[in-house]
Amino acid sequence: MSNEFEQFQDAFFEEAAEHLAIVEEGLLQLERHPEDLDLLNKIFRSAHSIKGASGMFGFDAVAQFTHKMETLLDLLRSGKKSVTPGLTDLLLKSTDCLKTLLDGVKLNAPVDDNVVQRLSTELAAVSAGEGERASASSPTAVAEPPASSGGAYDIRWTPPEWLFRRGLDPLQIFKELARIGRLGRVNVDTSRLPDLNNMNPETCYLSWTMRLETAASPKEVESVFEFVREDGELSIEAVAVPDSAPTVSGADVQREAKSATLEISEGGPKSIGEILVESGAVSKEALERALSQQKRVGEILIEQKAATPQQIEQALQTQRQMEAAAQAKKADTASIRVDTAKIDKLINLVGELVITQSMLSDLGTRFEMGQVHVLLERIAQLERNTREIQERVMSIRMVPIGTAFSRFPRLVRDLAAKLGKKIQLVLSGEETELDKTVIEAIGDPLTHLVRNAADHGLEMPEERLDNNKPETGVIKLNAFHESGNICITVEDDGRGLNRDKILAKAVKQGLVADGAALSDDQIHALIMKPGFSTAEQVSDLSGRGVGMDVVKRNIEALGGTVSIKTVLGKGTTFTLKLPLTLAIIEGMTIRVGRETYIVPMLSILESIQPKPEAVKTIVGNGELIDVRGIYLPVIRLYEVFNVQPEYEDPAKAILLVVETEGERVAVMVDEILGQQQVVIKSMEQNFRKVQGIAGATILGDGTVGFILDVRGLLEIARQEAAAADAA
Amino acid sequence: MAAVTALETAVKQSHRQSGVPSGGAADGSQLLTFKLGDELYGVDILRVQEIKGYTAVTRIPNTPPAIKGVINLRGTIVPIVELRTVFGMPTIDVTPFTVIIVVVVREKVMGLVVDSVSDVLTIDRQDMQPPPAFGSRVDVSCLSGIAKSGDKLVALLDIDRLLADG
Repeated sequence: MSNEFEQFQDAFFEEAAEHLAIVEEGLLQLERHPEDLDLLNKIFRSAHSIKGASGMFGFDAVAQFTHKMETLLDLLRSGKKSVTPGLTDLLLKSTDCLKTLLDGVKLNAPVDDNVVQRLSTELAAVSAGEGERASASSPTAVAEPPASSGGAYDIRWTPPEWLFRRGLDPLQIFKELARIGRLGRVNVDTSRLPDLNNMNPETCYLSWTMRLETAASPKEVESVFEFVREDGELSIEAVAVPDSAPTVSGADVQREAKSATLEISEGGPKSIGEILVESGAVSKEALERALSQQKRVGEILIEQKAATPQQIEQALQTQRQMEAAAQAKKADTASIRVDTAKIDKLINLVGELVITQSMLSDLGTRFEMGQVHVLLERIAQLERNTREIQERVMSIRMVPIGTAFSRFPRLVRDLAAKLGKKIQLVLSGEETELDKTVIEAIGDPLTHLVRNAADHGLEMPEERLDNNKPETGVIKLNAFHESGNICITVEDDGRGLNRDKILAKAVKQGLVADGAALSDDQIHALIMKPGFSTAEQVSDLSGRGVGMDVVKRNIEALGGTVSIKTVLGKGTTFTLKLPLTLAIIEGMTIRVGRETYIVPMLSILESIQPKPEAVKTIVGNGELIDVRGIYLPVIRLYEVFNVQPEYEDPAKAILLVVETEGERVAVMVDEILGQQQVVIKSMEQNFRKVQGIAGATILGDGTVGFILDVRGLLEIARQEAAAADAA
Repeated sequence: MAAVTALETAVKQSHRQSGVPSGGAADGSQLLTFKLGDELYGVDILRVQEIKGYTAVTRIPNTPPAIKGVINLRGTIVPIVELRTVFGMPTIDVTPFTVIIVVVVREKVMGLVVDSVSDVLTIDRQDMQPPPAFGSRVDVSCLSGIAKSGDKLVALLDIDRLLADG
């Protein structure tokens, strides 16, 4: 019966997530203050809200599980049980489980029943005596349809014509049928559908035939159609099920029922095996036998010695991560909650804008040259309005970064327990606001950094005591605004990066040549190379060498930078510098020939007009420019983009020193036109990605200008150089 | 530009009459025809979003010559294809008649630069025939067929294939 509520479901999930956060936060605090009754009450209320709402939406598994948690919480609240670390741990685990359950419902994805079952058994066992009997009822029991070992029915249903007029939805019927059994082969008969001209959209012209496998009695099946029987036609015929009918376990049935509902609602393609089984050409056992003979690619590769089991395991891990990320992305179409005051202000501003506009058009209809000053005044007013509206609209998307930080207390607590370290987490600057999309995107990189700090950065308690440090290590997370950017620092007081160890490892892995002299920055950049890890042992936490490079890539994809400061024995600080928003960037407009481009300010270090003798060439055509003693490669933008420049002599042109991924290059342009904020427009929406171009924007005169992607430029320049060498 | 406005109205009307996108196909197709030199081309009118006077185009670096560049169409970036280049004809200077036909291909919006728009024609199925084969001498891969309208020959554009090439 969940369908009527569909429009409210999003709100439910959002609220449930908020309540879950409250529960989790509360439980973490409860560990420190076990006697705090207010806290317990708060946790209880949130758990209760989740239970109530999920029950209302028909998410029985969620409701049942929350109920078990609630029972235990109630015991704690009434003082019949006291809070122990074991109990909070169990409750925290249950919160995680609840989260997975909710995600499962939301994404319509299968949930690992074992974990749910184990936890609910545990919960019930702990609260046994006062609570309900342990483990007897599994949490999914209600949602589980009866096994299909019974009969099957061929159902032919022609709904009454008034079906839609009375607000009834046939889909509802199918969902109900899928609940009591396994719904296979649903065919719709559209033959009565008239021409579009003659069609009444409120009349139902469709009829269906379907096969339902269920143990339910014909009466029960009939009762599904109770509200739609009048005027319609319904025939339910019991049919014999072939002997090979599978007796599958409950879990399987449930999954199948789920996929059945999916097929109805989305009409997704089936696998060949499914189709064969449904058409009766192949029995289910035969299919399963065939499937079990199929080997996984990984196994085959190992057998053929093409890959080691470790490599396969790693690849699988990556795949799982990618899947999880993809799922998270799917779930991320979420809405945003906005303070009504912000909206009210926006409405006021739009009102002002309308007034300004009407004043201008009024002026336009009877304009005389003497009124130029009035015109200019009103244009100035328009400009003020626009800027203010822009700021307000942007502020709607601004969310305090605390939402991204909130996951870390729990993470650090679990990490500390796992690693046997003592860690204190200090958060500051949580109220710093930044764009919601940026907040969403930095969650994972931050998690990596915090994990790294806990795993690699901080030493074991004994080691810390030996080095005259307090036993408890400190990880500090801080966020603050700095010149139009946001800076997030992750700081630990651990052992710091060991320069020699990194270098030795890099040489061993062939990332740098033996004996190469590297600057500190270059050494630090090494740890962000893919596949690089100095951890002696690969743990399930870190040391696989994926991580830092992902952090760097993600941050750079957002137009930000990562920098490292470290003191051996004292600790390491990672600083992420990010733009406040992804929709608007600060850019430098430059000109090459007749073309105008925009270079993101964030990547520009300086601009110089070189002396003729500062430009040197090596091996014939590789150009270098001397910038205060350091030689940087020169990229002539007109060559990369094949346009006609005004100046081909670097001494007459301007060189922009830009930095990308720790690499500095000088980009040669004709002229710098100015600095302005530009709104990023997608090129991919109607075209495709163009190398060297990060996006487009509309310039002041209404034409399109391109935003340069410095990394891409560099790549084009190198390809061209390589091509020139080959020729 | 008066001619353009009149045609816009015609385009809009035909959209309205045909109701759903697939509706028009039963009794033949309505085509928006345009000219490249002396040749007449037609594009399925249901694919046409609007007709626009020529505006300055921003060149995209390192793209095939047929992609003339992009324009700002009320805030979205729309790529512009020079049809003359696609068909290997010499390009000509922009005239007052030069227009951009904005079409929708696989949910992407693109603009076609043509010498001038001429008319909206309804052409029966039986007046259409598959594109003739010229061998390698003439590339007709971007055409879905040719049609006869009175004494005029209309080459029917397959814009799906057109964008796939670009």
